[in-house]
Formats: sequence, structure tokens, C-alpha cells
Amino acid sequence: MKLKQTDRYVLSRFLFALGGILIFVFFVTPLFWTLSVSLKTIPELFSPNLVLWPAIPQFENYVKVFQNTMILVNLRNSLNITVSSVILILLLSLPSAFALSRVYFRGKKIWMFLILIFQMLSPVVVVIPLYRFFMHIGIYNQTWSLVLVYAATFAPFTVWYMKGYFDTCPVVLDEAARIDGATRMQTFLNIHIPVAMPGIVSVTILLVVQCWSQFILPLILLDDKKLFPIPVGLLDLQSSSDAITVHYLAAASIIGIIPVLVCFVVFQKYIVSALTQGAVKE
Amino acid sequence: MNRILPRGAREISFFVWLLPLVLVCIGVFVIPVFQIVQLSFTDATLLKAGSSFSLTSYSNLLTNPDFASIIGVTLSFVVASVFLQVVLGFLIALYLDYGNTQGLHGLLIVRTAVLAAWAIPGVVIGIVWKMMFSEMDSGLITALCKLVIPGARLQFLSSPSAALVSSIIANTWRGTAYSMILLYAGLMSFPKDLNEAAAIDGANAMRRLFQIKIPVLAPLVLICILLVTVQTFNTFDMLMALTGGGPGRSTEVIALNIYKTIFTEFDLGRGSAAAVMLLLINIGMTGVYFRFLREKGK
Repeated sequence: MKLKQTDRYVLSRFLFALGGILIFVFFVTPLFWTLSVSLKTIPELFSPNLVLWPAIPQFENYVKVFQNTMILVNLRNSLNITVSSVILILLLSLPSAFALSRVYFRGKKIWMFLILIFQMLSPVVVVIPLYRFFMHIGIYNQTWSLVLVYAATFAPFTVWYMKGYFDTCPVVLDEAARIDGATRMQTFLNIHIPVAMPGIVSVTILLVVQCWSQFILPLILLDDKKLFPIPVGLLDLQSSSDAITVHYLAAASIIGIIPVLVCFVVFQKYIVSALTQGAVKE
Repeated sequence: MNRILPRGAREISFFVWLLPLVLVCIGVFVIPVFQIVQLSFTDATLLKAGSSFSLTSYSNLLTNPDFASIIGVTLSFVVASVFLQVVLGFLIALYLDYGNTQGLHGLLIVRTAVLAAWAIPGVVIGIVWKMMFSEMDSGLITALCKLVIPGARLQFLSSPSAALVSSIIANTWRGTAYSMILLYAGLMSFPKDLNEAAAIDGANAMRRLFQIKIPVLAPLVLICILLVTVQTFNTFDMLMALTGGGPGRSTEVIALNIYKTIFTEFDLGRGSAAAVMLLLINIGMTGVYFRFLREKGK
């Protein structure tokens, strides 16, 4: 009897480990493979046999990518666009979220519904009129106008999320501040922003990941290769590469995702809380 | 000074706080949506300036056999991706939750691996999976398949039906993290005593899963399905890099079709009509989601 229980215990632990390995392998293999391809020699790329890992990793591939592609320019553009968009999004969204959380007015439900629709709207729907409009008034192919569009695209989600967060801050805080003679603005800046900091950090990380990944807006609103962020730059590189340069494409892809992956792994717990809270709260 | 103002006055001042958001939303959502609807009723193209009112874009769109195929591809892509993502996400969430309650190790590394896929830009995911599905002998999946069945003819991306399946696999890889995290949060907040009471009453793990956990989590699963469905309808960045919609139109989903119609065929009217279709899908799904949240809140 005792032995049987030990057997069951061992078996369940074994199955648990096996399950973990399977999940891990499924999700890591594509990234591992990209890294492997990025370090191969040309003969290894065309080898008739499976080359799981190059015999001698060719780190020069990365040097060549830095020298011969626009990847560094793309990285800098992505960084610029992401940082300025996130700042603008927060400036736009935090006051609105606070107002929607604290004031009751007629038609608020409709407001919240509209904000949700904007959040769910596919960017491809709005970007076409914007493209024509930007062409018309001559702000097409400019980073700053693109940043404005990013800000508007991600503001609804941020408002929706931060309203949920402000809702959980007790109203007692507002009343105490008001008795002490603080204005709404002071209450907001000195009390609610600090209290909501964990939420702000979460939403910021999520916004960084989303701005970094955004593809359709820069694809349509930018034309100059010198302005392309990572996703558009990589698609451009892909269209000009073939089987014999696929290792450079792999290396460029690795370079393009390293910043966001590092940011992601470091701040993982904030992403987890942001993803779960944003969806479930009203 | 605020407190001596009447209630209404304070409300008005609060609209100033909302004003930047309102302006931006009008500029980037309301006006463009209005314009796309307007454009969809014209024969406009990107090439010439003028246009006149016409219903031809809708009749062209709806009678075009390609459009029927695009709707079919979109629905297959969305339904299969959502199903696989939610099921796989739920299984991994159960796995993590089980490990958590048993105090087992290695959970963080599994969770990180799943989530990392979600943080990567869609275009990169397309590039990565194109390498995975490479049909050369040196391609990883091709090589592994040939180890099992030597001499097999493998066309992961060059045969129309296989390309759709390959796209769904890549999209599942990408999106599973979202469902996993959402459902894992649900399992974490699951009332423990409910589970224990059922265990004491003699329900085994399977029965506890199907008769207690799944029914209690059903609203969350529905939210998850809705959100993932909207995201999947709207996406095409990964497909652009993986298949470009091809071969033929076998992986051309509606969002990609809108882009191609307008920017490679220059047909603004028909592209806008397709965009209005996507818009209606978006609004419909949002309506269901909103009602659901409200009912849940009551």
C-alpha cells in the first residue's frame, strides 16, 4: 500500500515535469531556431541534414547586419516612437480616467461603451481615412503625426484600465483631501497618482509592448525607410532577402525583439496583473 | 473652494479633464469612421482625386467570389485560432495552478516561455514561423518530419490548405499566453473552500474540474473568447510576413484584404466597404462584451 502511494507520487511528478517540458519546448523552439539560424554559415543554411546548432556560431552575422541594414535606425525609431507615445498616452488618459471614475454624469454608460468600441476597433479601419487626411494637409510621413495616432489608438484601453484602477481607490481619500483644502487637481496629482502607481507601471509596460509591436499604422502612415520602426523595417528587409541571406534576417529579428523581451522579463509581474485586470473590470 | 460650488458647476469643470481625450477620439476615431462609411458608398480610388456616390463597391464586394473565400478564410482562421488558444491556454493555466497548489518548481520558466511569445511583434512571429516551416531540407519541421517519414513531400506554406493550417498554428503559438494569463488569474481567485468541500464529498479531480471549476469560471472563459475573437479578427501583421495572404488568397483574412484592396489594387471604394464589414463585426462584438460585463457587474 505504501509502495503504491509512492509510485503514484513519482508518476504524477514525472507527468508534471513532462507536461512542463512539452509546453516549454513548444514555446521556446521557434525562438531557439531563429537564434540558431542567425548564427549559421551559408553551407549550413543549405545543408541537406538537420543542423540544430551551428558548428561554430557566426557572430559576424550580427556585425554584418549592423553594418549593412537599417536595423539600428529602426531600433532608434522604435525607441523614439514608443517613448513619446507612451508619455503622451499617459498624459491624455490619466486625467480622463480619473474624471470618469470620480464624477457621475448622465450618459456615462454611453461614454464607457464608446471608449470600449474605440478600443476594439481595428486600426486598419481608421488608418485609411487618416492616410488620406494626412496626405491632404501635408503631415504624412512624419514621426510626430504618427505618435499622435498611436496616442489616440491606445488611449481608450488605458482609460478603461486606469478607470478600473481609480475606482478601487477609496473616495474617503478625496474627502479627506478636500477638507484639508486641496483642489481636485492637487488631490489627483498628490494622492491618486502615487496610490495608483502600480497600475500605472503595469499599463506602461503593456503599452511599451504594444507600441513596439504596432505594425499597420507605421506601414501606412510612413513612407521613408529612415523613419521605419522595427516591424516595418523587418518586413522591408524580409521582402529584399532570400534563402541565401535568411541568417541575416534571423539576426535582425533577434536584434529587434531583444529590447522588448528584456523589458518584458524584468517587468513580467506587472504585465500579468495588467492583462488580467484590464479585461475583467468595468 | 470647490466645496462651495454647486454640484453641477463641479461637473462642468470635470469635462475639461475629459476634453483632450474627447478631441483625440473625435479626430482619430469618430471622423475617420464617418469617412470610411462615406467612402464605402463611392467609386473612389487612390489614384484619382474625385469620386461620386455609388453603391457599386458593395455590389462588387458582395458578388465577388473572392470575397466569399475571404470570409471563409477569416472565419476558419478566427474560429480555429480562438478555439486552440483558449483550450491550450486553459490547459496551461490548469497546469500552472496545479503546480502552484502543490508547491512545485519550474512554473516561472514555463510561464515566461509562454508569455514571451505574446510580447514579440507579429511581423517577427511571421518571419520566425516562416523559418520554422521552411520547405528546404534544412528547415526544422521539414527535417523532423523527414526523420519520421523519409521522402515525404511537405508543403507547409506552398499548398493552400496547409498554409492556412500553418498560419493557425503560428497564431496559436502567439496568442495562447493571453488566454492562459486570464484564466490562470481566474483559477487563482477560485474559492478554495468550494474545491475542498467537493474533495471531502468524494469528487475526484476530473469531476471537480468539469462540475465545479469550469461552471464557476464560465463567465471568464466567455470574456476570454470574446476578447481573443476581436483580436484575431483585427490582426494581419503576422500573416503579412508569414504568407502574405497566399498562396492565392488561401490565407487572406479580411483585415489583410482591406489593406491589399486599397494599397495594391488602389480600389478605395471596395476596400472601404470591406472595412465597414470589419467595423460592424467590431461593434457587434463590443456590444456583446459590454452587455456581458454589465450583467456580470449586477
